[in-house]
Amino acid sequence: MNVTVTRLGLLGMLLMAVLVTGIGTGSSFLGPDRVMAALLGTGERMDMVIVWTLRLPRVALAALAGAALALSGALLQRATRNPLAAPSVLGITDGAAVGVLMFLTIFSDAANHLTVPVAWQPAFAGLGATSFALLVLLLGGKHRADPLRLLLYGVALAALAKAIVVLLLIVGPVYRASQALIWLAGSVQAAQSRDVVLLGSVLGLSLPVLILLARPLDQLRLDPDSAFATGLPVAAVRGAALALAVVLAAGAVSVAGGIGFVGLLAPHAARLLFGSRAAPQLIGAALLGAAMTTGADLLVRLAFQPLEVPVGAVTAALGAPFFLWLLNRRGDPHA
Amino acid sequence: MPDTHIALREAAAGYGDRLVFEGLTLEIPAGQVTALCGPNGCGKSTALKAVRRLLPLRHGAALLGDRPVTERSARTLAREIAMLGQTPEAPGDLTVRDLVGLGRYAHASRFTGPGAVDRAAVDAALSAVDLSDLADRPIAALSGGQLQRAWLAMTVAQEAPAILLDEPTNHLDIAHARETLDLVRRLAHEMGRTVVVVLHDLNLAARFADRLVLFRDGRVAGQGPVSEVFRPELISHVFDVGCEIVMTSVGPMVVPFKNSRAAAQDGQRKAA
Repeated sequence: MNVTVTRLGLLGMLLMAVLVTGIGTGSSFLGPDRVMAALLGTGERMDMVIVWTLRLPRVALAALAGAALALSGALLQRATRNPLAAPSVLGITDGAAVGVLMFLTIFSDAANHLTVPVAWQPAFAGLGATSFALLVLLLGGKHRADPLRLLLYGVALAALAKAIVVLLLIVGPVYRASQALIWLAGSVQAAQSRDVVLLGSVLGLSLPVLILLARPLDQLRLDPDSAFATGLPVAAVRGAALALAVVLAAGAVSVAGGIGFVGLLAPHAARLLFGSRAAPQLIGAALLGAAMTTGADLLVRLAFQPLEVPVGAVTAALGAPFFLWLLNRRGDPHA
Repeated sequence: MPDTHIALREAAAGYGDRLVFEGLTLEIPAGQVTALCGPNGCGKSTALKAVRRLLPLRHGAALLGDRPVTERSARTLAREIAMLGQTPEAPGDLTVRDLVGLGRYAHASRFTGPGAVDRAAVDAALSAVDLSDLADRPIAALSGGQLQRAWLAMTVAQEAPAILLDEPTNHLDIAHARETLDLVRRLAHEMGRTVVVVLHDLNLAARFADRLVLFRDGRVAGQGPVSEVFRPELISHVFDVGCEIVMTSVGPMVVPFKNSRAAAQDGQRKAA
């Protein structure tokens, strides 16, 4: 128990350090003292503008998106009892991409200008993510005793979504395609405060549900039959966990794009650090996911300036080898 | 005969297109150990699942007292019937005490979690299966027999009046199998629980159960007190194997003949 608290504390400090460095880094460097002062509202006027207007939205969005994707992945892995479950596997990420491409295709005029405000893009991403996730859950839900089937339906529908995306990219104008590609790989470069508020609200509203789900999720560590025999309404708990996972992932993807592998990696790392108990694993996954995405975005800004490399490219480049290692590793198959 | 605690009435259940049994009627008396025996795939495990509502019935009813089991919430039903399946699973980092504590889910407060009553029940269950010394060990570090007893303790900690066990002696050596079945008897005779246990080993069933139910092809071939059901002609019929029953110092034992098919006829003739 003490080990758990210590590790959570260390993770929290790590995240704080990454956040402060992330805010301090840019065309003019701000030391941690100046960042903290500006965050607390006692900094110089210029620092305040840099921190609050220019840098905080991007860093905060990266952190929130990472936390939301990590929580979504942890919920999916627990609900399906499959360690390979992740938001991208359930068709959520690719569904959101279809939504964005639809938006860009439908609302562009002949001169490649959007006919509606770009603020509508997250709404379409959310719509695409939710409809594909619902389709996966509806098709896979018929076999509620078999979570593996759910994942297979997810993989199949994700492939379908990818095909639609490629088709729309090819038939669409080139300028739109390059816009879409950056979004597809996941990017927080164009972060707006309203994106931060949107995703922050999604996370805030999920919190009470997560707290209520902690004990049922602990019970779901048992196989479904044993869990039901000890009094857990398994179908209801699974349904709630899956629904929350869809909401969190759709929220993150709609404002930050398809940031890959965070939803798979962070829950696993948290599982290794904190064991199978739900509360510490979920908190740990959220902290790790936030730190990973913020750290990857910092790396992007430091290493590739002035090129804007999507942060998702970095998380995927670092995450894929870990995923291979995971597949190769033998041991307890249940997350 | 004591009151019926659990019953299946004209029940049909199965997987996919295949019905494992239909028209199955079964009475489980309260406060006794009832053993379900029969060849592989005869429907005894499926019957247990149907009673515990782990498998929906296609037809008929599973009754607890005089009400169908479908009329209760998952939580309420768990306070009435506990069940240990054949292949329970849990992550290896759980300690024995954690695992046994999961048996308290239906009792512990939804908001404050387990309390003193729950901890006492866990301790009692641990000592009943003789695992108190290993309480803080992760279950991944247990032997097969210890793990089986840990699962049994989880089921006992649930403190349900009825307990269903699907082959609880599966991974146990003869000493631990005997201890486990001694515990099963104590649960019924000293603590008044109703125990239904699926057993492969007919001799263990005859020795430790009060009643036997013999299944064959999804039908009950015979049910009643052990002395009435444990007879060579019935067992020969159910298992398609000739056998005789010998009396030993601990009770009757069934011994199958060498050449099963040919001798089955022979055994029946001899018994007649």
